[in-house]
Amino acid sequence: MTAPSGASVGAVRDVPTARASIVSLSDVHRDYPIGAELVHALRGVSLEVERGDYVSIVGPSGCGKSTLLNLVGVIDQPTSGTVAIAGKRVDAMTDREATSFRLHNIGFVFQRFYLMPTLSALENVELPMAEAKVSARERNARAAKLLEYVGLGARQHHRPSELSGGEQQRVAIARALANRPALMLADEPTGERDAKTGAEIIALFRQLNADGTTMIVVTHDEDLANAARRKIHMRDGRIVQE
Amino acid sequence: MRATLAQASLIRHRARTILAVLGVAVAAAMLLDMVMLATGMRESFRELLLVRGFDIRLAPKGTLPFDTDATIPHVSAITAVLRGNPDVRDISAVLGGSLHIEADGRDVSAAVLGIDPKVQGDYELVAGRDVASADAIVVNEYLLRELGAKLGDTLTVATGFDAQTRTYAGQKKLVLTGIARFIYGAAEQSSAAVRRETLEAMEGQKRRDRASLFMVKVRQGANPDSVRKWIEGHIPNVTAISIATAIAQVDQRLSYFRQLAFILGAVSLFVGFLLVTTLVTVSVNERAGEIAVMRAIGVSRLHVVEQVIIEGIAISLAGALFGLGLGLITARYLNSILSEFPGLPMAIDFFLFQPRAAWSALGLLVASGIGAGIYPAWRAASLPIAESLRREAIA
Amino acid sequence: MLLTVLSFALLIQTPQGAPRTIAIDEAFASQAHLKVGDRVTLSARPDTPADSAEVVIVGAIARRGADPSEVARGDYVVRMHLDQLQRIAGYGDRVDRFAIATRPSADVGRTLEQINHVAFGFRAYRSKDIAVETSRTFQVVSRFHRAIGIITIVASSIFLLCIMVLKVEERRRDIAALRLMGISRLSVVRSIVIEAGLVAVLGSVLGIVIGWVVSLVVNWHYQALYRTPLYFSIITPSIVAFAVALSLVLGIGAGLVASARLARTPPLALFGR
Repeated sequence: MTAPSGASVGAVRDVPTARASIVSLSDVHRDYPIGAELVHALRGVSLEVERGDYVSIVGPSGCGKSTLLNLVGVIDQPTSGTVAIAGKRVDAMTDREATSFRLHNIGFVFQRFYLMPTLSALENVELPMAEAKVSARERNARAAKLLEYVGLGARQHHRPSELSGGEQQRVAIARALANRPALMLADEPTGERDAKTGAEIIALFRQLNADGTTMIVVTHDEDLANAARRKIHMRDGRIVQE
Repeated sequence: MRATLAQASLIRHRARTILAVLGVAVAAAMLLDMVMLATGMRESFRELLLVRGFDIRLAPKGTLPFDTDATIPHVSAITAVLRGNPDVRDISAVLGGSLHIEADGRDVSAAVLGIDPKVQGDYELVAGRDVASADAIVVNEYLLRELGAKLGDTLTVATGFDAQTRTYAGQKKLVLTGIARFIYGAAEQSSAAVRRETLEAMEGQKRRDRASLFMVKVRQGANPDSVRKWIEGHIPNVTAISIATAIAQVDQRLSYFRQLAFILGAVSLFVGFLLVTTLVTVSVNERAGEIAVMRAIGVSRLHVVEQVIIEGIAISLAGALFGLGLGLITARYLNSILSEFPGLPMAIDFFLFQPRAAWSALGLLVASGIGAGIYPAWRAASLPIAESLRREAIA
Repeated sequence: MLLTVLSFALLIQTPQGAPRTIAIDEAFASQAHLKVGDRVTLSARPDTPADSAEVVIVGAIARRGADPSEVARGDYVVRMHLDQLQRIAGYGDRVDRFAIATRPSADVGRTLEQINHVAFGFRAYRSKDIAVETSRTFQVVSRFHRAIGIITIVASSIFLLCIMVLKVEERRRDIAALRLMGISRLSVVRSIVIEAGLVAVLGSVLGIVIGWVVSLVVNWHYQALYRTPLYFSIITPSIVAFAVALSLVLGIGAGLVASARLARTPPLALFGR
């Protein structure tokens, strides 16, 4: 695929002027019970990610990649250790604080996109902006611009079921960018996709990072992992190699 | 956006939504009918008793009006006593009996009331003139049809049939001057009215100066209950019945229907509630992944709950509106069944539409629909996001 | 009328002379605190002087018969010797009605005709015809109940169909997996229909138990309220059979409709892919 043309990502988020740490994890542990057993998903992970960086996390299934991503995404809380995002401690936020923090600072892309099947591509992108109380006019214009950025300018009014897997993932990426997040997280974004679609997504992520978005990607996909500037290996809940 | 999502979710499963709305509509219709039944009888009976403005009825001691053949003696003396109370405005003495009318060789029988046309409160004239003279009679349409007669006809009527001698106490020719609607007459009941003195004269000595019932109107501003007590104190051989007592007595006789209405109304409400709860729970469970993602991208818990509740409200509202129409139709049908209840005035409605009661019932149903959505919505919005996403990915 | 004396002046008396006996009904006995052997004075009017009132003795306390025409009326019933009642009521040698029992071999219709042919001042009726007339109230009530029953059946059909559709749709992934494993559409539909039938039968058994308990409560309540031994709610084998059959038909129908919809959908679409 060719890199998506059209509007620059600068239109949707400010490019940082100084390189500083945006993600900071210190000795993070995360245990959770599965049945009668306590699973130690993370066993003392420390990690720093700078603004504008592009990090991929790889490792075998069950090594704690997704748990790490969930902690960074503030949808889960550590059993111990600290997590700070954009200079703010997020490891002990209340549900309300965490929700608001995610809305304004973090963009999520999931393996299975999870677009709202009953909304059009444009409405799906508008959803986080509506939640952030952006005016209808502004969110409409911005959603259109974002869809154009991911190369779906002509398919704004299509429902997810009318789009291909690659197109749906691009709508999900546009949705993740809706509120100009400081950090974008992706969990297996190319999983279950064919090679061509995978390549399209890799190109789009490169473009996003080049345009200034900080990215953390969890993946099994070698090509996607190699596209990142930093590649972190995990095993048994620990970072084993970078 | 939340309304759009709720609407979209309802449209996504059209068959399911239609079924749920239908289910709530039937529950709403049943609830409305039962509210109409519980409040209707009493209200309808009250309206009926008050239709001609008489506040108190006097019946022979220990009886209800026209419940037995007993009569009250000394009408003129009682009237004089009643006139002694300045709060009494009008007095209508009524003598009841049965009448035999000859029609083409047949003997048609009818209930007859002897009244004073100036103060009577038993019928409304539909056509012709009232019983202005001693030889006039008014009949209801049912009797008119039975007789095959028309206004102006002269009828041969007899009263006081003695079964042993097979003779009548009195016979007379009366001119049919008017057609009336008898307010307290049962369906398919032949009714007629003549002047009280005409009926007394025909019935003979044993019913002279007697009445089956007195109806009393009190002056504006006077308290009917204190007048009733005064009457019972001054006239010992009568039972004075106020509107409230009469309603209480009817309430007791028809308490079965009120209780049935209450039970079925409660069951309907519960069924409506259960239907909305089930639907919303399943709908929410199905969308656990979607809800988790919405929460992950920053949609607040409250907004997720709102969206789910909007679905519940939409189903309940649509069902309630549809149920309103359905309820009115079924109420008419059920009323037509109960109107055949023996001995009840035709004008009594068992199912009476009272806007306030109806809106409160439907409001209650919609409120229960909202309540039905709250728990599943809150449960879904409170699920741990990471855990829901993981479970969804495994599924 | 002759049996129902409208007003009584009752007074517990000391023994004097040889009073005759009366029978009163249970409700009256409990209300007036009377027991067998108590003496009471009896008159037809409340203002009757004490010396012309009749002294009687409570000889029996009887449970009232099941008469639909008496339901919802609060009257008490006293049974006494005919001549005594005729005397105190000033009724002379008159009665309101005669009851005639015919021999088992008699032709009731012909007997009725013969009586009416010679009747002077009265008319004979078949007891059955009178019973029909007095139970009109109950005919109206049972028509009303039937109508309510029909509405309830419509409501429960919709409810059942709705639940079944939801239940089957909830398992769309299982159904998709079965289809992908090569299980035929017919087998999927059949298994769901069997399940729906079982749920319906279990539900109706539970419903019958609940109905039986409710029926006990209804009878207990209304028998006490109206002071009658009449049964207001009876569960007969035919009602049970009807309830089970109806639930089964509705359950199978609903299961069929719901499963046929999903079985027609391609398995991958059921997975949401």
